[in-house]
Amino acid sequence: MGLRDILTGRSQVKGPAPDRLFAISTAYITLESEHQIEPAGSAAIVFQALATSEFESTLKDMEEVVRATGGDSGTSVATQDDSYGYRWMVLKNPQGAPSVEDLAVGINAVSGSIETAGHGERLLCAVFAFTDGRPGASGKRVYFIYNYKRGFWYPFVPDPSGGQKRLTERELQIKAQMASELPIEPELERWFPLWGIPI
Amino acid sequence: MARGRSSFGKDNGLQARMLFTMFLLVLVYVVFIGVLFAAGAGAVLIVGVALILLLLQLFASDKIAMATMGVKEVTPEQEPELHGIVERLCVQADLPKPRVCVMETSMPNAFAMGRNKKSTTVCATRGILQLLDSSELEGVMAHELTHVINRDVMVMTLAGFFATLAAMILQFAFFFGGGMGGGMGRSRDEEEDIMIVILVAAVVYAVSFLLLRALSRYREFAADRGSAVLTGRPSALASALIKISGTMERVPSQDLRSAEAMSAFFIVPARTKKSLMNIFADHPPLEQRLAALERLESQLQSAA
Repeated sequence: MGLRDILTGRSQVKGPAPDRLFAISTAYITLESEHQIEPAGSAAIVFQALATSEFESTLKDMEEVVRATGGDSGTSVATQDDSYGYRWMVLKNPQGAPSVEDLAVGINAVSGSIETAGHGERLLCAVFAFTDGRPGASGKRVYFIYNYKRGFWYPFVPDPSGGQKRLTERELQIKAQMASELPIEPELERWFPLWGIPI
Repeated sequence: MARGRSSFGKDNGLQARMLFTMFLLVLVYVVFIGVLFAAGAGAVLIVGVALILLLLQLFASDKIAMATMGVKEVTPEQEPELHGIVERLCVQADLPKPRVCVMETSMPNAFAMGRNKKSTTVCATRGILQLLDSSELEGVMAHELTHVINRDVMVMTLAGFFATLAAMILQFAFFFGGGMGGGMGRSRDEEEDIMIVILVAAVVYAVSFLLLRALSRYREFAADRGSAVLTGRPSALASALIKISGTMERVPSQDLRSAEAMSAFFIVPARTKKSLMNIFADHPPLEQRLAALERLESQLQSAA
């Protein structure tokens, strides 16, 4: 924000950063082969749904686009609103055939059509679900969250025993392991948790 | 940032009014500085003292205010909803997460403090958490975070610097019976100089007071607008403002008096008197804020 913006109080909402979403579609290979973190076959994109007819029709068109592009791979789409009023568009691979590439293509189609409609600043993040396959980790969920405003990824490992706790130690391990493969958010205070992820 | 304006039009009128107010303020201050320097050495000392006070105000006011108001920081476990709302807004606004506090009072209000994005505190009262639903609370918190993004604490403190200085000179004059610096053996010329400085200080104080109040009202409009742009839900903030102001008028006035000191930080001023003239108010009247939010909602609805 420049001096003039500060003087006039003219805050703007930032649009998406240069896209680094597809970094996940190569990084998952390392995750799977070297660190036993397996794709769970689902991903979601989170955004603010504007309560306007124009935005709703954009969403409807978009769902059709995703269904059409996902037709070959069998990716399914579902939407739901969370308690904060944000909309989740959840993409799922067909049973037993997780494909991070297909999910990334689908998520990119959604964000692309929101941006084309001129609402890029409404995008919050994308979430990819993985399963921790290390012995002793008992299939814990590991999420990789992509922050659209920043263009960075960060891991999020909620404590499966409940409560709003996260396993920071595990997240930091993953950060160290993946720093060369994924553009990881360097500022730890921006590793915002997302509680109650529906995937 | 062309995209940020896609859902909402520009508000050039508000920006023009704000810049014009600041221009007037600077004009008044320039004259004031000129007179001070013409008056000589004693004035330099006063400016120095005022500068120190300004720095203190910038760096310590939030801590002092928090200590005196009984504001407590809360963890995500204690207030998951408030933290969740603030976190999502921070992602939206590309801000690091501020400290989140709650003030245990039934008066529904919220405020943000801090010089910059790195040292920010947002605070909601128990009353507002109970009163508002989550989309309304989101609107209010977005309004407060916009104050942070716009650096309103910094802008208002700096804008108020010379007004503070003028007030100090007037107090000096009051306590020392017109003598500021210099001994008993002052010449007639010096006496006159001092009288002029005091007169000018009085005028500067009165004029800058009104200008600062106007500026504060414009910053409120800008923050309302920023909240609407950030959340995409202008009507949620409007609904929150209606609820809060409705309750504010029913709150006993004793409670309000103790809150008066914090009024400039609050989303709705803690004051019951409606008879106050608008030019003395630091927040715009509710009807004007609602009308501005309604315009934003209709811009949003008609944007194609």
